[in-house]
This record gives sequence, C-alpha cells and structure tokens, in this order.
Amino acid sequence: MKVFLTRSRVRSVATTLAVALTLTLAAAAGCDSRQEPQIPSVKETLSKTHIYGQPTLKIGVSTTGPLMGELHGGTYSGFDVEIARYIAAQLGYEGDKRIEWVPVATEDRIPALQGGAVDLVVATFSMTEEREKLVSFAGPYLVTTQEAMVPTRLKDKIHTIEDLRDPRYKVCTSGGSTTEAELGRHQIRVFVVKEVGDCVEGILAGRYDAVSSDETILAGFLSKHPKDFTIIDMPFGTSEQIGVGVPISDPALRDLVAFFLDKSYQQGRKGLSSPWLTAYHQTLGPWLRAPKVQPPPLKVPELVDFDDKAPR
Amino acid sequence: MTAPPVTGADADAGTQTPRLGEARHLDERRARASQSFWTAVVAVPAVFSVLRLGVEAGGELQTTLLLVANVGPVNLLAGFLTTAARLLSTGLVAVFALGAVLGVSVDRLPGYRRPLFARWADITPAWFVVASYLLALITWPLLYLPLLLPAFAAAFQLRPDRLHDLPVARVLIVSALLGGYLVLLTPALLDAWQQRELLVLALFVVPPVLALGIAGPLPGAVIRPLASATEAAVLVMLVWAALPVISTPVLPLTVTTVQAGSGATEDVRGHVVVVDDVNMVLLQEQGGVRYVPIDQVKAQVLCPSEEELPRHRLRVHDFHVEDSLLEGLGRRVRPLHRIDAACRAMG
Repeated sequence: MKVFLTRSRVRSVATTLAVALTLTLAAAAGCDSRQEPQIPSVKETLSKTHIYGQPTLKIGVSTTGPLMGELHGGTYSGFDVEIARYIAAQLGYEGDKRIEWVPVATEDRIPALQGGAVDLVVATFSMTEEREKLVSFAGPYLVTTQEAMVPTRLKDKIHTIEDLRDPRYKVCTSGGSTTEAELGRHQIRVFVVKEVGDCVEGILAGRYDAVSSDETILAGFLSKHPKDFTIIDMPFGTSEQIGVGVPISDPALRDLVAFFLDKSYQQGRKGLSSPWLTAYHQTLGPWLRAPKVQPPPLKVPELVDFDDKAPR
Repeated sequence: MTAPPVTGADADAGTQTPRLGEARHLDERRARASQSFWTAVVAVPAVFSVLRLGVEAGGELQTTLLLVANVGPVNLLAGFLTTAARLLSTGLVAVFALGAVLGVSVDRLPGYRRPLFARWADITPAWFVVASYLLALITWPLLYLPLLLPAFAAAFQLRPDRLHDLPVARVLIVSALLGGYLVLLTPALLDAWQQRELLVLALFVVPPVLALGIAGPLPGAVIRPLASATEAAVLVMLVWAALPVISTPVLPLTVTTVQAGSGATEDVRGHVVVVDDVNMVLLQEQGGVRYVPIDQVKAQVLCPSEEELPRHRLRVHDFHVEDSLLEGLGRRVRPLHRIDAACRAMG
C-alpha cells in the first residue's frame, strides 16, 4: 500500500513537471514565432543602400571590349553586361528600361564611382588592394590571367616575356590597368593608350607589335579578328580577380551584390544552370582556350531571403 | 406495530427520482456545453473572417464595404482556413491535452467540480480530437511538431506501461523509439548546436522525454491553480496569436506596373480586389483604393510578404524547420521559387 502510494506520488510529481515544462516550451515557441529574424533580410539591406527608391540603376560598363562589354546599335552586350543585368534584376531593376548604362573607360571607373556618376561598375574591374582603398568590390565573378596577343606575322617570334623585353617590339596596353603595372614590374617598355581596342587598332596599323591585357579582353578582340591575331600562352603576374565595383560609402550595396553573385555560384555548384553560366556560354565561353567556372565570391554576407525555404 | 418491511422495489423507487433528476441535469449540462463548444468552433472563424476584412481595409468603412462586396464567403473562409488553421489547431490541441490531464486528476477527487477544459474534452468525440491533432500535424512548423508528442500523450493518457507488460521490454522499446527519433534529427541538432540555437535544441529534444511522463493525475493542490491559469493562458494565447491572423491579408499581394499616357511607368504595390472590363481595383499596401484603367496595366507579379521571411537557418532532411509538412511537400511539388524583381524595388 505504501509502495503504491509512493509510486502514485512520484507519477503525480512527474506529470506536474511534464505539464509545466511542456507549457513553458510552448510559451517559448510562441514567443519565438513572433520574433523578428535575427539575420538581416535582403529587403532590409536593400533599404539601406543609396539606390533604394531610385527609378533606375546607373551601371558603368565598357563599350569597347568585345565579348565583355560592347555597344552595337544602341544595344549593350557582353559577359560583363550580362552579369550587370543579372545583378540589376536581383536588385529590382529588371529590363534595360530600368538600367541606365554609362560607358566608362578603364581609367574612369574609379572616378565614376567616387563621383556618383554610376551606382555600380561592371567593366572587367580587377580587385586590387590599391583600388580597395578607393572603392569596394563584390566578387570575384571571374578570375583571369594576363596574357599577350600578337599579330599572326609575329607568332613565331614572340613566345616569352623575355621576347617582349626586346626593344624592337612595341608593347601596348591600356592606361590605369593592372597590366600596365605588371609589365612595368617585368621591365617591359610599354606604350600606354586609353583602351585595349586602341592597341589592337594600333597593331593593325603597324604602330605596335603586341598588346597585353586580361585573357578575357584579349579573347574578345581575337573573336573580332581571328585571322589577324594569336594569343601567346605566357601568363605572367598573378591571376586577376574581376569584381563588381561599388562606392566605398555603400557597404550594404556591396553586400547585396556579393550575396547575389554567391546565389548564382551556389546554383552552378549544384550542377544547375546559373545566370553566370548562361552569360558565359553566350559570350566568352566559345572563345577561351581553357573553360572557366564561376569563382566563389569573397566576403559573402549572411542574409535571409524569401526563397530560403525552398528545397536545396 | 411493526413497520412493514421495505421491499427492494420500494427502496429503488425511493432513490430513483433524484437519480433520474441528476442524470437529466447532467445530460442538460452536457448538451449546453456541447452547444457552446460547437458554436465557438463555427462562430470564431466567421467573426474572424469579417474582422479581417475590416483590418485589411485599413479601418475605412467604404473600403471595407468594397471588400465585402467583392470577396465571396467561400474565398473568405478558404483564406481564413489557410492562414488560421495553425492557430485553430493549436487552440484545440491545448484544450484537449489540458482537459484530459485535468479530467483524470479530478476523477479521483469526488465532489471536485470538473474544470472547463475537462468538460470540453469529455463531450468532444474522439474522432474530432484525432482530427485536431492531424490538422496540427500537417500545419504546425516542423520546429514545433515535437510538442505534439506530449500533447497527444496527455490527451489520450498514453503511458509507457501500455507498451509492454515487462519493464525491461518497455525500456527497450522506449529507447529504440527515442534513438530512432534522435538519429532522424541528428544533422539538424548538430546544425542547431553550431548556430547556438538553444531553444531549437530544447524544442527538438525535450518534448519526447516529457511525453513519457505527462499522462497521469496531477496532485490535488495543483489542479485548481493550473486549471485557472491555463484557461486564462489559452485565452490570452488565442488573442495574442489571433492579432497577426486578423491582420494577415485576405487577398494576395501583387506589384502592378501601370503605364500612364505620358509613357512613364509606375509600380503599384497592393492587393487586387476586382478586375472588370474597365478597371482593375487595387487596394494599395500603404492604404487607399486605386482604380487603374485596364489598358494602362502593363504587368503584374505576385510578391511574398514580410511575414514569410524565415527566422532560422535550419533544416530537417531538407525540410525547412519553419515549414509545415504541408508547405514542405508543396515546395517539393514546385521546388523553384522565383522572387520577381519588381517585388524588391518597392518600399
């Protein structure tokens, strides 16, 4: 009888405890369900950017880089342009009516961002430490190496960096580019012009003998003049990370661009078609000797978005 | 004179009248309780639905009348069930679980007035209780589903000793069940630990253990305070949880691109009330009704609302913990979720 009473008491205490704990957990769950998300959302971050509420997005692009950024009959095309269109759409600016394309030359990219002439620069913009003191970068969305392109008549004579040092050959590159600094480090005498396209025209006119730039830019010009030029396989310098330039005063916009580039990267990793892959196959893909994949973007922020619940 | 002996039949006749009266009284009380319960089940959704229209209209009488004129009762009820099924099932599950525990507790205390929830639990058919739990099973977020285990054990007074007569066998069965449960959840539990989501860990791990001990009577001293406190708590919970349900829109949120005669486009964020041959009537998100000529409508996209943003970054076998089983299955049928750009641009 005593044992029965003790067991009954223990059961009563257990039931009381279980009921109390269940009610406590249920109350905690109720409070949790009403809490705001701890991680910032895409929408919240967007509202902190300087572009929030703007009717159009001003994007700086190159207009003279075949395959990367070109203007033909009022239509912009190229890999950079497609990446810019993807980012703009994600930011709420879908369609060219909502994008204000601003042509920027290589050396104008930083001043354009600093002066507010553009909201973003997507123009084969290498991410370097020096530049990161002046502008912010989201990316990379492409990793390239510097290469040299020579006219077909010189393809048997120029093979190495040593050959480029030969004072007989006039090497050309665009001003303000990382290639200019890299060639200087290799003691190569270089003729600096405004755009890589000027170098190509100069070679065709006989003024220069070689042009050095990113492999993607050179691939673009090769696609224009496949019979006149050859790209020499002599990568020098370190690989270059191409990113999207953002005003340094707008970290929220940088975070969003990095987030959307990462979204595309994650899609590609799963073997799905991604905006990056589509842009690549439409533009650069057929002209590069070694196929490329999207590199993982750096410093991607943790943001929540409406599609986070979708199956992975 | 001795009094004639009282026969058994006479003795029965003497006590039958009060017993019959008591039984009739009990039946009447049950009938009244049943009536009030079913009235609440039908009336609460109806009242809520009408209240929601008023809130959605921004408190404007004319806008409310516009909505009343254009939102059909079937749409309204379907909209209510879609958004309030979770709240409804939570209320029912709480009432049945607490009612069963309180009912068992007062059973052994003769003369003790049965608490309200216990009376409700008594008069509710078992199929309705099971249906309420099934509704909760498919509509509650996965994160809160483990709480259904102690609630179910309480409602049906399920104890481990029902599993097997031998204590050793009981321990083995319970260990196997808990082990299987933990194996199923291990990846999610590890993620929760890494993200320091302690509440999530507690919600996943503790309820199954509580389910083992929740059935049984409560001590006499606890019954009355618990009955009063939980009745008040459930009422407060329903009101507290009802506020977001009342303010959840009845109509889907859209962004409509309108092109004026000058060629300039404008995005209008709001809910489409009705479309006819002449106008599209939009209830703007920030307030006010706008009649847009149908030939000026250039595009329209469906947008998610702020409440749909996830708060946790945890999954159980690729089901997001904030999705219900129903939502999770739905996402498998339509796995791609595209947020239209126009939804982002607007404030």
